[in-house]
Amino acid sequence: MTTTLATTAHAASTGVLREIYERMLERPLPPTYRPAHGGAPGIVVAHSLEPRLIPKVFATSSTLNGAGPLAWPERELVNATTSRLNQCLY
Amino acid sequence: MTEAPWRLSAAVRARAAAVGLDDDALVHGVALSAYFGHLNRVADAVGVSLDYAVRYPAPHAVPSTPRYELAPAGTDASVGPLALTRRPATAAALDAWRAYMLERDAPLPRAERDAILARVNMHLGGPPGPAGDPLFAELADTVALAPWALGPAAFASLRARGADDALLFDVCVVATTANMLRRIGVALAALSR
Repeated sequence: MTTTLATTAHAASTGVLREIYERMLERPLPPTYRPAHGGAPGIVVAHSLEPRLIPKVFATSSTLNGAGPLAWPERELVNATTSRLNQCLY
Repeated sequence: MTEAPWRLSAAVRARAAAVGLDDDALVHGVALSAYFGHLNRVADAVGVSLDYAVRYPAPHAVPSTPRYELAPAGTDASVGPLALTRRPATAAALDAWRAYMLERDAPLPRAERDAILARVNMHLGGPPGPAGDPLFAELADTVALAPWALGPAAFASLRARGADDALLFDVCVVATTANMLRRIGVALAALSR
């Protein structure tokens, strides 16, 4: 699938980006968030033009999505509402 | 939080408390929403496709949707009782992210990063800052105020001037980082009043 800005998928990645993708795949993640294609999720790949940003963005995610006090369904509600208002349909 | 974080208030905080959401839960929700606003903007700027099949395709974004409104000048973003210090790990992660995106010189020069930061902050009630390249400003405005309009058309002017994808992505992420951090500050200040 062609994107508006260039991306590099896991299978085509090399060097620093490859290492970062590999580290991302080792993160503890609920199975429902793991894409069936087995590679990095699209939102991670979306950051591939700036590989060193990826650990910073998703380290933040771990602090917000891996802990309370909001419960998982409440967090998903916040995320879905935010996305709907921003008209992000990813 | 997403549309007008400065409209949050002590009354919202009280209403949340009445249904069992304490201050820590509010700080969590504010940070989470701002963070997801970043993911939304990057997903739309880059144009990633879904990772999974869906039975009912999502509706299309409507690029002509009016921009989010601007916050009143002088909107408070000072630190009050509701602060990110309640989530030290989140605060540290955001600080590392902020430093990485806002304190370097390539591909976007540091002065242009500062100009985008000031412009996005101004849209959210901050003081005016240094003016930067008008085309960078135009793209930053779309990122912050109309993420549904991100796409090839939003990049056309800069592409015509020779900007490559790395530079376009850098402009977008500087803007969305500034937007995320300012929204958190404005929202927490509003809830603390």
